[in-house]
Amino acid sequence: MTFTVKAAFALALSTLVAAPAIAHGFTKPQHGGIVTTSGETLFELVAKPAGTQLYVIDDDEPVNAVSMTATLSTEIGGGLKTVALKPAAGNRFDGPALKLKPGAKVAVMVIDKASKARLGGTFIVK
Amino acid sequence: MPSLKTILVAGLLTGLSCEAAHAHAVWFAQRARQTALIYGVGADDLDSVKRFNQIEKMAGYDADYQPIAATPRIAGPIVLVDTDQQPTLLSVVFFNGIWSRVDGEFVKGGRDEHPQASLAEKNYKYSVSIQGPLSKPIPALADQVLQIVPVGPIPEQHGANLTYRVLFKGKPVAGAKVINDLVNDPDQAPQTSGADGTVTLPVRNQGLNVIEAVYNGPTDDAKKYDRIENSATLTFTLAHAPE
Repeated sequence: MTFTVKAAFALALSTLVAAPAIAHGFTKPQHGGIVTTSGETLFELVAKPAGTQLYVIDDDEPVNAVSMTATLSTEIGGGLKTVALKPAAGNRFDGPALKLKPGAKVAVMVIDKASKARLGGTFIVK
Repeated sequence: MPSLKTILVAGLLTGLSCEAAHAHAVWFAQRARQTALIYGVGADDLDSVKRFNQIEKMAGYDADYQPIAATPRIAGPIVLVDTDQQPTLLSVVFFNGIWSRVDGEFVKGGRDEHPQASLAEKNYKYSVSIQGPLSKPIPALADQVLQIVPVGPIPEQHGANLTYRVLFKGKPVAGAKVINDLVNDPDQAPQTSGADGTVTLPVRNQGLNVIEAVYNGPTDDAKKYDRIENSATLTFTLAHAPE
């Protein structure tokens, strides 16, 4: 086997290309749902027959749902509707059951009651 | 010795070239993860709080382009935008006053205050920001006298060409001056929109893109100003590689 310096350099380059530019934070679902990120905020949407759950992790830390309000906007019953989500345990917000088809867009926003800071994102269901 | 005609033409051209095609504008950008309204040009992020009362209207739109409430709020030295749901679009109408050019300098006030002015103009600035994925083409928004809309999907990678259509009072307009990066290259030579209102430019940034169009409309009060200068920006963001 010939393994030249040139090949090693090429391998090193490919490793560099494959490596994330600024790697940090959660990017994968923690609860079996789908995720979308906005900056350093990770939103995870879990659609269950009994209801929809939204989990929010901000800069690797779960938010405190009870200190926030949350809304979800998507096609419901043939029209675009916005529903309020209820703060639940930890960083979870609960909403009604949704039938999400591939291609459906689900926009979410959480608002810190004290600071009024907003964090938002949009899921595209695959 | 140059003729009178030559002197007049040269003088006119000099005057035109002194006139900045792309001056200050307004646009939406992220500041500390919040959506802010910026007033400035290039890297100059100027005092939007001082100009807060010049915000005539702010609006949000959902994915169906139905209006939702969007409210500007002073937060320390910047102006943030409050919405109760994630918007697909944000827009603003910003009145930038009446200005006259006197002895080569722009001063506040119209021709009624500066009868010797070589130019008097009323200035309006408009902006539309794409905040979420688009399901259909952006319509002409009623309050955006000058508006830039993308024609076709926005590419995922910078460097690709994107066609924009400039609308004046909801109709495609020829002759608008368009640049594709007001923040990082504000002095670039503008492209002029064609008869169908379109111009095609490469998307500059794998991040925030602020496109600006400038178009002068007719005056609606000839005693005070000769024209209405309209500036419109369109902003959108290309996602960076996954972390």
